[in-house]
Amino acid sequence: MHLKPFLLTALDSATNGGRRYHVWMGCLTLVMALGGYGYFLQLRDGLGVTGMSDHVSWGLYISNFTFLVGMAAAAMMLVLPAYVLHDVDFGRAVLMAEAVAVAALVMCLAFVVVDIGNPLAAWHLAPGIGLLNWPSSLLAWDVIVLNGYLAINLAIPFYILYSRYTGRSPAKHKYLPWMYIAVMWAVSIHLVTAFLLAGLPARPFWNTALLGPRFLATAFTAGPAFMILLLWFIDRVTEYHIKEGAFTKLALIVAIAAQVNFIMLVSELFYKFYSPTHHGINARYLFFGLDGHNALVPWIWTAIGLNAVATVALMIHPMRRNPRWLMPACAVLFIGIWIEKGMGLVIPGFIPSPLGEIVEYTPTWIELSVTAGVWAMGLFVLTVLVRVALPIEMGEVTSPYLRDPHTAAVVRPAGAGLRTGQINRPGGKRPGGDEPGRRFRTR
Amino acid sequence: MMVDRELTFEDVLRFVGASAAAEHAREQEAALASAPAKSGCGSGSCGCGNGNGNGTVLEKTVDRRRALGMMFTSVAAGAQVASACSPLSAATDEEKEIKLLQWRETIKRHYRFMTDQERADTINRLERLAKLRRNLDIHIDSTPAQPNVEYGYAFNISKCQGFRSCVDACINENNLDREAATQYIRIFEMEDGVVDLDEADATFQHEVPAEGHFYFGTQCFQCANPPCVKVCPVGATWQEPDGITVVDYDWCIGCRYCMAACPYWARRFNWSEPDVPAPVVNPNQHYLGNRARKKGVVEKCTFCIQRTRKGRLPACAEACPTGARVFGNLLDPNSEIRWVLENKPVFRLKEDLKTEPRFWYFTD
Amino acid sequence: MMLAYTLWSATHRSKLARAVRAVLLFSLAATSWNCAPGDYENATDTRQATDGRDSTAPPATGQTAQDAATALLEPGALKTVDGVVVEGRTGPGGRPFEVARRTPDPPQGFSRQFGTITLDIALRTRTPDLSQYPCISCHMGGAMRLSSQRVRDAHQNIQPVHPAETGATCRNCHAPENVELLAFQSGQRTTIDHAYRLCAQCHNAQVTAWAAGAHGKRLDGWQGRRVVLGCAACHDPHQPALQKRTPFRAPQIERKRRDP
Repeated sequence: MHLKPFLLTALDSATNGGRRYHVWMGCLTLVMALGGYGYFLQLRDGLGVTGMSDHVSWGLYISNFTFLVGMAAAAMMLVLPAYVLHDVDFGRAVLMAEAVAVAALVMCLAFVVVDIGNPLAAWHLAPGIGLLNWPSSLLAWDVIVLNGYLAINLAIPFYILYSRYTGRSPAKHKYLPWMYIAVMWAVSIHLVTAFLLAGLPARPFWNTALLGPRFLATAFTAGPAFMILLLWFIDRVTEYHIKEGAFTKLALIVAIAAQVNFIMLVSELFYKFYSPTHHGINARYLFFGLDGHNALVPWIWTAIGLNAVATVALMIHPMRRNPRWLMPACAVLFIGIWIEKGMGLVIPGFIPSPLGEIVEYTPTWIELSVTAGVWAMGLFVLTVLVRVALPIEMGEVTSPYLRDPHTAAVVRPAGAGLRTGQINRPGGKRPGGDEPGRRFRTR
Repeated sequence: MMVDRELTFEDVLRFVGASAAAEHAREQEAALASAPAKSGCGSGSCGCGNGNGNGTVLEKTVDRRRALGMMFTSVAAGAQVASACSPLSAATDEEKEIKLLQWRETIKRHYRFMTDQERADTINRLERLAKLRRNLDIHIDSTPAQPNVEYGYAFNISKCQGFRSCVDACINENNLDREAATQYIRIFEMEDGVVDLDEADATFQHEVPAEGHFYFGTQCFQCANPPCVKVCPVGATWQEPDGITVVDYDWCIGCRYCMAACPYWARRFNWSEPDVPAPVVNPNQHYLGNRARKKGVVEKCTFCIQRTRKGRLPACAEACPTGARVFGNLLDPNSEIRWVLENKPVFRLKEDLKTEPRFWYFTD
Repeated sequence: MMLAYTLWSATHRSKLARAVRAVLLFSLAATSWNCAPGDYENATDTRQATDGRDSTAPPATGQTAQDAATALLEPGALKTVDGVVVEGRTGPGGRPFEVARRTPDPPQGFSRQFGTITLDIALRTRTPDLSQYPCISCHMGGAMRLSSQRVRDAHQNIQPVHPAETGATCRNCHAPENVELLAFQSGQRTTIDHAYRLCAQCHNAQVTAWAAGAHGKRLDGWQGRRVVLGCAACHDPHQPALQKRTPFRAPQIERKRRDP
């Protein structure tokens, strides 16, 4: 009986806000519309409107897909300590992390959808009416694990928020088992995605045992880095304050993962360059170019440079503990990983082709606009989820049935009395929630 | 006036489970049939949403569930013909028939799980569609694999002169996209003593054979352990009993994972609607072979399944003017291919990958 | 007719070729069936004798162009191929096989349409020449006794590279008493259909591979009747190396883009 007001509250929170909020959502909508137009052109004329070819058969879409799977998996870096290890520092950040996971998964699925050539046949993937080639195909595994992970990451926060909304305390025995599953699942989604590429002996660039661990390392670099930026933003513009401990712990995770990633990158490069075999030719193309083809060379060196600078910055304790340095470092690292693990990982796998032909890849404007559209959609989803979660989490909004069980029965779903859930009340008393610890501030 | 009276919208609706709206749609269909032909998207059975179809819905103020059902049906049908939707002109009987046939084609099953009747039906529909859309009289064949036959191919690198006659024949035989200049076969020019594809050149256009070079042809090797089949998420590609790896073009979702998985770069994707001018269409087709493909699906060499299953040579082998191509049944100890394997020095490409290609290279 | 044949060969590769060829072939067929081949058929009576099966008789006169065209486009093209059972050799598994035979009229010749494919053999068939200039019109009796100057004039198209390289003369292969017969080193004679036996005197390994299917071309099918092309179908006996030629167009490596 609380569901309808709950959804209405959610809708209410998502559609109300200050001017900056509306401008932000408006911009995202515009970009989505542009992406929609690009996708329309792609549907009409085929994937030929993209820069992909028989030689480079995956491009920007799958690059973003692999990157975003990592983002989704990384949410668990927060969930794991918060729920399983009862680390209170992370408590408030966890719902945001799950929102990031959901948004990243939505983007992942959207990137897969825009990448397939015959979307009308997508129902062939559905078990029962279609034919899912499981367990043979790693892509079938990916379909299952991504959708499963999406379901878990929707269900757990929904349960917690709904409990809060209805004034109950979430029952641990109900969601904790799912948390354990989700933690394992998070690792699995990223390993499966890595195996999807690493399982192809046709592509020696990917066909390495290190790909799975590298995927995890990059995920645990870029994911928490993005979380730090998001939490910092939320901490600054809303009354939902995050304790310093959460930031420092996240920064430590990022710093360690970035170093591990760097070590793995170095061993990968050593293996590919010390004895230049056929298996290293793709890496040669990526880092130094082949026969005058060097479209990716500036990109990968930029990524390596960004990663190196950010990793070094994060290794220095005073810098890592100061938001003035931590935030730019995280942003730089995020961009660096995005290049390295997206375009820098997927595209060179195809160049040169297994028959040694070199065809380079440059995304077209349609591809770029669809990609931007999907990212805008992800940010839109993230914004909405955060927007909905915050007032409930802060106890600002609860079910009207709780407040006045007698009138509620009469008022029904009109949503009367629900508009109190404003989150940007300056100077307002912080209702409910944990007693905040020390705030994370520039020193 | 439908040619096949059974293919009504009601069937379609029943299939998609929106039977609540079926009755209503029939009224709508009747209204449409009597309505004069209109130009612009949305008229007719296309169901794009802004034609008189929606008007009917609104006038009758159907209840929510019914409207949802209608919407779902419209969206489904609209999506189906989305490509044809933009310049949609008058909904003639022929166009209606085309749309219904297309719809039936969209919802059909995987070829391997079709009954014989379903196979015959889909072939009839495809032939009819070719007639209606392009006025082509094609014949689509569904000959199954012959018992005790497993095809093998041998390529004589001493003999190949790089004429590319095989490429020409392949394009003509397999209805390859002329606009995209798709080719299944690559002939690489290699320097004597260097069997290295990275150093080879496929773009030679000088007189051949060139001094000090030999020629190395690649195409789909019909691996006995095909990595492309393993990775397909929907099982749209599989190995037939005679060893040919085929694609159900109507089941393929176009994810291109198989293209990434193929170590021999044997698969091609239809990046746009393939263009084969009517005069050069090869009308002798096989469902799993050279029939018309559509945009967004993967295709590949099938050893000319439409020919080889009838005992004929693949087009490339037949067209080769040098006799560098030997084709036959690996299970027949008295076949030419077996003689080559037993009496000539042979090797296969990238054998370390354990894909077990059914395509051998040999020298004199 | 020579002109027509040249045209026919010249248009071989072009896009227009199919229609032109159909018409051309019909006209050729009509003329040759009506008059020319008679002499040739009579002159080569030995060939008839060695023919194991019923040869495909030239179609009756009055055949329409439509018939000629469809005959070429018929899928089971092997039905129209005329072959002779190979002597002295067997295919893999000891099975007898046939060698495709030179026939006088182009529609029955080798450069033909198999299904949608033009079988593009590097043929230098002498058939049209033979039908227009039957050998016996010059070479009667002691036929080889022609001055070298006249030999060159009469056979401008023959480049005697092979004899020049091996030090052979015409008589090493051609029977002096009847130039349409071939002469073994042993003195035996055979017809032009069994030229592979002559080649095998020196090129035994190649002919062995040819009989087994690793050299040369099998026509039409991998199954059923095995008909292969003879040596001279691809190798000009006087100049056996395959000639260089311009290949079919190169692949487009970069994908052709169509603007949306």
